[in-house]
Amino acid sequence: MRALLAVVERDFRYFLRYRWWIAGMVSMNLADLFIMALVYARMTNPDVVVDYFVFFAPGLTVTAAFAAAFMIGREVNMELRREVTHYMLSLPIERWKLAAGRVISGGIRGVAYVAPLLATTLAITNAYTGRLPTPPELLTVLAVLSSLCLGTSGLSIALALSTKSFEKYVTARSVVYYALFFCSTVFYPLSLVERVFPPLAIPARLNPVSCGADLSRALLLGWAEPTPFMLVDVLLYALVFGLLAASSYARTTRK
Amino acid sequence: MAPIIRMVGLTKRFGGFTAVDRLDLEVEEGEILGLLGPNGAGKTTTILMLATVLKPTEGTVYIGPYDVTKEADKARRLVGVAFQEPKLLWVDSPWSVLNWHAKVCGLPSGERRRRIRWVLEELGIWDVRFKSAHSLSGGTRKRVEVAKILVQRPKIAIFDEPTAQVDVVGKHKIWGMIRELRDEGSTIILATNELHEADVLSQRIAIMHRGKLLVCDEPRRLKDSIPGGDVVEVSFEGGVPEMVTEELRRIPTVVEVSAARQNQVKIYLNRAEEALPRIAELLLRLGLQAKSMRVSEPSLDDVFAHYTGLTIEEAQRR
Ligand SMILES: Nc1ncnc2c1ncn2[C@@H]1O[C@H](COP(=O)(O)OP(=O)(O)O)[C@@H](O)[C@H]1O
Ligand SMILES: [Mg+2]
Repeated sequence: MRALLAVVERDFRYFLRYRWWIAGMVSMNLADLFIMALVYARMTNPDVVVDYFVFFAPGLTVTAAFAAAFMIGREVNMELRREVTHYMLSLPIERWKLAAGRVISGGIRGVAYVAPLLATTLAITNAYTGRLPTPPELLTVLAVLSSLCLGTSGLSIALALSTKSFEKYVTARSVVYYALFFCSTVFYPLSLVERVFPPLAIPARLNPVSCGADLSRALLLGWAEPTPFMLVDVLLYALVFGLLAASSYARTTRK
Repeated sequence: MAPIIRMVGLTKRFGGFTAVDRLDLEVEEGEILGLLGPNGAGKTTTILMLATVLKPTEGTVYIGPYDVTKEADKARRLVGVAFQEPKLLWVDSPWSVLNWHAKVCGLPSGERRRRIRWVLEELGIWDVRFKSAHSLSGGTRKRVEVAKILVQRPKIAIFDEPTAQVDVVGKHKIWGMIRELRDEGSTIILATNELHEADVLSQRIAIMHRGKLLVCDEPRRLKDSIPGGDVVEVSFEGGVPEMVTEELRRIPTVVEVSAARQNQVKIYLNRAEEALPRIAELLLRLGLQAKSMRVSEPSLDDVFAHYTGLTIEEAQRR
């Protein structure tokens, strides 16, 4: 257990080393939230989005969670290229603990990053709707975001392990990133996707990022009922990619 | 004593290239085994298999009772490796690297601090302990890499070229600390391409070339095993009488005698220390006055050359 904690601690320390970069990211995200959404709220058709600003806030939280949890892949890929992985593999830790530790730390990093954004979002949604989520609702949002972060950490590690050269990794990362966000309900509701580009409706509905965003919206704004499907979708995402990444870390790193 | 490491037909291939070729080698508990060979000999690859970082393509190695292909998790617990290339990320400081390493190895915090301080001070890098790795010199980074294992003090400590890029003072310090670790009971594998380092530190030396083990024995016996490896040079005041070479050849351990220069003979022989009195006696009997007599023993380079036809330097360049 101590070894697993140490693995998580190491990844978290590297995360904090980037604190200025993270601070930059947070403030950029917040600026996005305030400026862009305010502008969009005036431009968008009220039929489509009742109030884009409020709509966008939870979506942005999910975006931030995803981005922060996705960072671990970059580090795993770099370790692989610089053969720091050799060091990690030589440590007196059971392989599964090392692998699980890496995936879990990616998830924790995402949650840590998103916490201040979530608080801001709460303040905003409360100001607009006068509504505060109940403690169980809030816990569910946290659980959903944690699952999303865990799955994303797994996804990024799996990606990092399967593309050894940095160029390939960066390309793969961008493709996955844009596909997941473009084809989601983070920036626009599903009804818009269905109207504008129907073939994307099903992937957008299945996309765990959409489910995470929609669940957060449902719970924070009280606009819609959270469906069990969304919850299961996000949990499955965490389970599948968490396990996939951990097992491929344990398997493929020792050639 | 029983071997604590046992390599059995240990082989590693990368694609069609065989980096380590059917290695059979045992390491005794409590010894320092030098793994000597030119760059590309397969030393690092062998070490990575011992440390359960790479999987053997064929064969295996037992670390204590554990077969690395079957019980890697258990085997790994006994081993610590100071890598050839320091495995530091740019943002790390020596202190955080060592503290984390010691924590993962299960050292409690008081013991951790005590050992880290001691090792850093001994290696002369205490003052830079909070600097980030990218501002440290190659030699300092190497010291940090070695320090990890000196702090960990594992049952089996492996050092892969521990003093490459380290200055002379640092080298002697590191050698002393490796010996100390051995004296405390650790078994040590020292991979190096420096003859002197292997010679002064190891109880036994395994010489590798192109993935194969050429020979493994005590340094003294390796040198003695070269026929005519020792050389005695005798210089005379005047010329060398013909019959001297004849007489010298009759001494049992003498392999070859050549007149190097007009007033000098070179005697190639084994175990010079035993033959010297007989040579002196012979000269005395013949009434010859020797101006000087110099004995040189073969170096490990001669041993390497004996087995490969190349000096280590030549082998490095290939
Ligand atoms: N991952 C790898 N892929 C392909 N070839 C490798 C790999 N690792 C090492 N080699 C090759 O194996 C040989 C032995 O390398 P190495 O074990 O590093 O030797 P040494 O440590 O004795 O210098 C070298 O020719 C090296 O190029
Ligand atoms: Mg090497």
